[in-house]
Amino acid sequence: MSIVKSMKFVVLGAVFGVAGSVAGANAQEIIKLGLSIPLSGSGATWGKGSEFMCKEAASEINEAGGVKVGDVTYNFECVGYDNKYNAAEGTRVAQTLLNREGVKFIGGSLGTAPVKALQSLTERQGVMIFTTAWGSSIKGPDFPLTFTQMNTPFEILPQLIPYIHQAHPEAKTLAMLNPNDASGQETESVANGVWKKTGVEILSSDFYERGTTEFQPIAARLASMKPDIIDLGGMPPADAGAVLRELDSLGWKGVKVVEVGTGADGLKATGGDAVEGVYMGAGVTFDGPDVTDHQKKVNEDARAAIGESLNAIQIGFYDSVYALKAGIEAAKSIDPKEVAKVMPDVTFKTFYGGEIGFYGMDSYGSRQQMRLPVIVTQIQDGKLVEMARVVPDGK
Amino acid sequence: MQTAIQLILTSLQIGAVYILFSLGLTLIFGVMRIVNFAHGHLFAVSALVVAYTVPWLADTGLPVLPAYLLAVIAGVAVAMVLGFLMYVFGFKYFQRDMVGSFILSIGLVLLLDGILLKTFGGAVRPVPEILPGTVTILGASVTVQRVALCAAAVIITAALYWALTRTKLGKALRAVSIDHEAAMLQGVPYNRMALAGFMIAAALAALAGALIAPISIVSPVIGADYLIKGFIAVIIGGLGSVPGAILGGLFVAAIETFGGFYLDPTSATIAIFVLVIVVLLVRPKGLLGHG
Repeated sequence: MSIVKSMKFVVLGAVFGVAGSVAGANAQEIIKLGLSIPLSGSGATWGKGSEFMCKEAASEINEAGGVKVGDVTYNFECVGYDNKYNAAEGTRVAQTLLNREGVKFIGGSLGTAPVKALQSLTERQGVMIFTTAWGSSIKGPDFPLTFTQMNTPFEILPQLIPYIHQAHPEAKTLAMLNPNDASGQETESVANGVWKKTGVEILSSDFYERGTTEFQPIAARLASMKPDIIDLGGMPPADAGAVLRELDSLGWKGVKVVEVGTGADGLKATGGDAVEGVYMGAGVTFDGPDVTDHQKKVNEDARAAIGESLNAIQIGFYDSVYALKAGIEAAKSIDPKEVAKVMPDVTFKTFYGGEIGFYGMDSYGSRQQMRLPVIVTQIQDGKLVEMARVVPDGK
Repeated sequence: MQTAIQLILTSLQIGAVYILFSLGLTLIFGVMRIVNFAHGHLFAVSALVVAYTVPWLADTGLPVLPAYLLAVIAGVAVAMVLGFLMYVFGFKYFQRDMVGSFILSIGLVLLLDGILLKTFGGAVRPVPEILPGTVTILGASVTVQRVALCAAAVIITAALYWALTRTKLGKALRAVSIDHEAAMLQGVPYNRMALAGFMIAAALAALAGALIAPISIVSPVIGADYLIKGFIAVIIGGLGSVPGAILGGLFVAAIETFGGFYLDPTSATIAIFVLVIVVLLVRPKGLLGHG
């Protein structure tokens, strides 16, 4: 009897053991994608949309079977924290993502100052990072684990500014305003050079502190110079809209530019009708004949979730997830250093349609920049209209 | 000349909100001898309630102006309830305790930051234009909304000044502010005066938030910028001094406007902090401070 009883236990144990091992083989591992994004303040909509797009891409990939590395299937999970668009919070978020969440891949990060805080840890701890932050100091051979997920002023401005200059040859003078931080200073530096090449005279180039809520004195100064063009560079939509509203009330009429402006809704929230005619370099339209059903649906879902249309910043958080999938599968490894090694050579599905890869040897000395289209848009009758689209060439 | 008038008008418009904000800070300090870093959140709550309520009421078919006036009432009411809770469960136990109230108010800032973000989300809330159009004053262009804000701020400030100098409550508040023990010996109920002072300050912050909502960038962090400027105004004018708060508010606004115009926005910000340092070195109690 005891032998029979023992046999039963052995058989039962074997059944559970086999079942357990099968379940283990089929179990899907999780790869956390850390996000350092502004979820409060004037850049909050960018952050919320970015988190939405990361989750959208992760969900699509997970539903399609996940990321395959040998016999193991991985699912993506997006983990976002509020960096408040400043270095201090960026440091806190970096510590949380890397040391508490144990993240090995940053799916996206927003804001040059918080990203620099994050990057100081990621490169040291062997964590791969995607970022929307710009500047030649962010990427290059010294930062092998860093990749850029949207066009930066280095890509946007050489297309946007000449277009505006050609459209308004009568405009001869310019005043510029940017946030007084790493993002704003990098944007101003590139824009200054490109505007000078067009022959437009730069009357002033000022900086303001992020968190400013009263823009009337700033607008009064800008309007007093009577520039033909006012370029609000890298200002967040809410701030840029507020400046344009004050300029309108002061009677200034001229060419309005928000270089990394991302859409009509954010500007209109604070600028109202005064944002009419604004040129932007990071906006994306969703009502043309070439827009796919997938793009329309995701955009509609995003509008319901965040209250405005998607833009180039947020789309970058979608593309980076697909780039990571392609990189991990090409490297056959989830070691960030191995993935980063193969990343410059992989191609992946972009939200804009088709397959793209990385370039940037000419500008940065390494291929860490996604080859994305530069889209020049303008607000006309309250809607964003695509004026030109260029896919950059170069190595 | 037109530029000078434009800048003076801009200073007055900005200063109007700083005055309302700093009057609340100085009143709380005068009566309770505490600093309330969560004062900006009362301002933010009111602005946020207005920003949410106006579009909602307008969607029901109500004209924008009545919708705004109802939203102002709602915003002030919500902020005053929050202020009452802050006092009853917090500051009541830390009266005339600078260190305790400092720690408490920093804790409240963190708590309220989280609650506001969770409740309202972090994004900027648009408020429809309440009074469209611009007017020309001595050749300078000003929006009707800003003129209305200025007029409202002047009326509120005048009413407060009158109440503090002419009414029994106002005289009691001033007595407590000058010497609370002597006031109590004269039969002034200190605890009731402290609550009254705190609630008046909450109402001032709420009114300032509701007034600024249609012309500013309304998000849960809107109070931070005004809190800093408000404190600077109070320090320059003299902690606890009502005329000092008015003078300080106008001073800060003038430097922000003229400095921003003739130098640049960043230099104007630096100039404000330099001014505080100079005032603290020359007159540590502020220009009109006496305590």
